[in-house]
Amino acid sequence: MTTVVDIRRLRVDLDERTVLHDVDLRVDEGEVVCLLGANGSGKSTLVRAAVGLVPAAAGEISLFGRSLRTFRDFSRLGYVPQRANAASGVPATVREVVTSGRLARRRVFRPLTRADRAAVDDAIALVGLRDRAGDPVSSLSGGQQQRTLIARAAAAEPDMLVLDEPNAGVDQRSQEAFARALRTFVASGRTLLLVLHDMGPLASLVDRGVVLDNGRVVHDGALATAPATVAPGGVPDHHDDEHETGMFG
Amino acid sequence: MSLLDYDFMQRALIAALLTGLAAPAVGTYLVQRRLALMGDGIGHVALTGVAVGLLTGWAPVWTSVVVAVAGALAIETVRAHGRASADVALAMLFYGGIAGGVLLTGLAGSTAATLNTYLFGSITTVSAADLWVVAILAVVVVVLAVGLAPQLFAVCQDEEFAKVNGLPVRLYSALIAVMAAVTVTVAMRTVGLLLVSALMVVPVATAQQLTRGFRTTFTLALILGVVPSLSGVVFSYYVNVAPGAGIVVLALAGFVVAWPLGTVVRRWRQRRRPPAPADDPRVTGVHVPTEVHPHQHDEQCGHPAVEHDDHTDYLHDGHLHAAHGRHYDEH
Repeated sequence: MTTVVDIRRLRVDLDERTVLHDVDLRVDEGEVVCLLGANGSGKSTLVRAAVGLVPAAAGEISLFGRSLRTFRDFSRLGYVPQRANAASGVPATVREVVTSGRLARRRVFRPLTRADRAAVDDAIALVGLRDRAGDPVSSLSGGQQQRTLIARAAAAEPDMLVLDEPNAGVDQRSQEAFARALRTFVASGRTLLLVLHDMGPLASLVDRGVVLDNGRVVHDGALATAPATVAPGGVPDHHDDEHETGMFG
Repeated sequence: MSLLDYDFMQRALIAALLTGLAAPAVGTYLVQRRLALMGDGIGHVALTGVAVGLLTGWAPVWTSVVVAVAGALAIETVRAHGRASADVALAMLFYGGIAGGVLLTGLAGSTAATLNTYLFGSITTVSAADLWVVAILAVVVVVLAVGLAPQLFAVCQDEEFAKVNGLPVRLYSALIAVMAAVTVTVAMRTVGLLLVSALMVVPVATAQQLTRGFRTTFTLALILGVVPSLSGVVFSYYVNVAPGAGIVVLALAGFVVAWPLGTVVRRWRQRRRPPAPADDPRVTGVHVPTEVHPHQHDEQCGHPAVEHDDHTDYLHDGHLHAAHGRHYDEH
């Protein structure tokens, strides 16, 4: 099994304040790892450092066996930022935003290839937004916008997805929708690194939890709490339905 | 005698066409980035560049390109560092640009009337040499704005995401700033330095009243930039008024028409939207049997197996299939 994320003795300073102290984090291929912790514990900073958005003051970060400084295989990494407003000053359709996820695989002054279009279609279908593909992102709900950003990351066909608080301020239905999308993603043997405040419907996916407190890792391993709990009115379960017609019966 | 028989009118109309294309092309990215006033700032700074030209006797087109690019890069650097004092720093840069321009023009012994032709445009002053410079710069700006559209869109839409995707974000940001500076110089003789920002912003604002996507907004903004630019220059031929004023008033009139029209169009689209979303099991969790399935999923079938709570799903062509009685469900 190969190591996808390998972070050793990482220290990060923001505005001259140390927010991560000597943090180690390993994520293996195919694992679903969830970073947990209170607000300000440093969990978002840790993933932002891992994808290169925040500079490391000390320590070593490698992705897919390469140091982050020389890492160039950007299409293997899909990043979903936290609460990013998917809308900007000019309207953009869901399809246009998702298409920008292909850029790590595209070269300048080249049109979209058939493979690009197919990957974009698949990513939009994965998050269940096919009927909204031509609509402006700004007309979608917060949850649908978050799903658009997940599709954008998935469009690169990455080997690892990094999601920063995908559940924050998102309706239950959208949380379930991308829990399903992510389960499909993980099913193909790919890796998931999540920052979560509250696991919600994603709990059943998570293999391992890393808990941060005040910039230090205080727990790394299976999560003690039973992960299968689902909020009331949660995932509709159709496995109890008694009406069984049987397609081949 | 028709207005096209005059050489100066031919040159003014070509300059207006190029300006009408380049300004909204760059403006779309500036508006997307919420930097609508950047063009304004560059215009102020470029005035000092014009004055340097008047003082030294060098062509003002070139001196203003150099000064405007330097100013644009300074603005971009301050923006990218996002310091709290950036706001005030930019304001001082703009004041310095105007004051420096007026001061140097005075030293050069030029009159306020000369300065006015740069501030609000002037159809009779586009020389043949100027036109070549303007044409080359405008074509470069439009080609870059269209050719690099996927990259520039991504950088303006979400800078951090673009960075994680390996795009040289600072380079593209600097490129947008330089393109804006070049456009200001291109537009100097047509709409003028004080009103160029309007031609970058107003067509985009008008277009997005009616559009839903980036590409359609971009295309419509170019059309909405060209029409007022040409009309404004023609208007200026018949009525002795600086072309910049006519162009901007026409562009704003377009916005005033498009605004209520956009409201009607949006309402109409809302009513036409299909009410119920498709029953994608991954979204709704409803019971969807798969189509007739050719084989039984098991450990040997070659489809990856996934444990899901109390049962096993099989990954099949991007879908998860779960055994349910005698058929498979889409999961």
